[in-house]
Amino acid sequence: MRARMIGLAVLTLVAQRLLGTPGLPMWPSEIVLPTVWIVAASLRSRELRWPYEALLLGLGWDLFLEPVVGPGGIAWTAAALCLHALASFVADRSSKAWAAFGVVGALVVTIVHQLALLPFGLATSMTVPHLARTALFSGLWCGLVSAVLALDLPKRWRAYRVRKLR
Amino acid sequence: MRYSTALVFRTLVLWTVLEILAAWQVRSPAGTPVLFSWMRSVAGPVISTVEWAGALSGDIGVGLSDFERVLADNQKMRLQLEELRARHMLLQEDLGALREASVLVETSANFQTGSVVARCTYRDLGAGTMEVRTADKILIPRDAPVVGAEGLLGRVVRSEGRRHWLQLLTHAAAAVAVQTVDGDVQGLALGTGGSHLTIAYVPRQANLERGGVLMTSGGDGIFPPGIPTARIVRVRESDDPFLEVRAISSADLRATRSVLILSRWAAKDGGD
Repeated sequence: MRARMIGLAVLTLVAQRLLGTPGLPMWPSEIVLPTVWIVAASLRSRELRWPYEALLLGLGWDLFLEPVVGPGGIAWTAAALCLHALASFVADRSSKAWAAFGVVGALVVTIVHQLALLPFGLATSMTVPHLARTALFSGLWCGLVSAVLALDLPKRWRAYRVRKLR
Repeated sequence: MRYSTALVFRTLVLWTVLEILAAWQVRSPAGTPVLFSWMRSVAGPVISTVEWAGALSGDIGVGLSDFERVLADNQKMRLQLEELRARHMLLQEDLGALREASVLVETSANFQTGSVVARCTYRDLGAGTMEVRTADKILIPRDAPVVGAEGLLGRVVRSEGRRHWLQLLTHAAAAVAVQTVDGDVQGLALGTGGSHLTIAYVPRQANLERGGVLMTSGGDGIFPPGIPTARIVRVRESDDPFLEVRAISSADLRATRSVLILSRWAAKDGGD
């Protein structure tokens, strides 16, 4: 199970890199795909160690996408802690909540990452439209994942197979 | 709550480690890791503080040595000041003596030829002696008269180089022939060994007044006539055929600094 989760996380990072492939439109690269992992962890997991797993996710983000390893770990643990604190106040676990958490997570990740890069002179120019688009697309992405999970496709697939075999 | 605190603390430590890790990877324009710049920034104030403390201790050392030097200079200047004060007193004494000598020379114009100016260096009024010094080595004849600005002082009893010893009028063995200014009354001024003189052999009918001045008469063959010698302070009749007359020296024996030694005076010269 854990190996599968790690594999999916790596797959997410690879997909994130592919979204920035030259030739594609600009907006796909503004989606922060791994946000869904910390949103899911904050809304579904009851384990207390998940902020450290967010650290691993951030280091992986740095290895795949950033010039420096470290600031990503800070950003993703910060976002995980924020969502963890937010989840203790919010009872809603619907797709809307996932989307809202995705917005918050993406914002925290982006802002904290830029702040962590600031001492090295590597921070990029961060505009409000860019931030807004990143938050919006990431929220939609998280909401989409929640909706797909709510459909419970494996269960439906098994029911379809049972009906067809009869 | 405890868990949250520990979580936040551990997260902050973790972030610090990650930031340091990133700083190690990023290179500054000089090519060294940014982490080194940070370390220099942290160590800079410490190094500056150490340098400042070193400079401060150095300044304190210099200040202490300067303070000691100032103290030594102060002591030296104090000694110099004392020396200058002593010199000032000596110069004042010399100036007073020179003024006195000037007055003495002016008032003793008749004795300038063959006279020697000398400086009083020691006196013992109780013993009736005085030591004077001349500028040059000179042999003063014994019994040469010695006068001050205000009158007769005594006679030379010994001469040796620059040093000359006088027998003052008040000496117990001193005697000077005196007379009144008008020359009507004559007597003999005798030293008493004290501060006053006794005028002997003054006839009972003599007209003497308190405050009157007695001059040398030249009758003793030692002192030239006409030198103020004594001032009468008391006249008393007694059973003797002579008046009992007490006088004090005209010259201030305590304050006299310059004297004139009439080294070539001789009674046979006539006293002029």
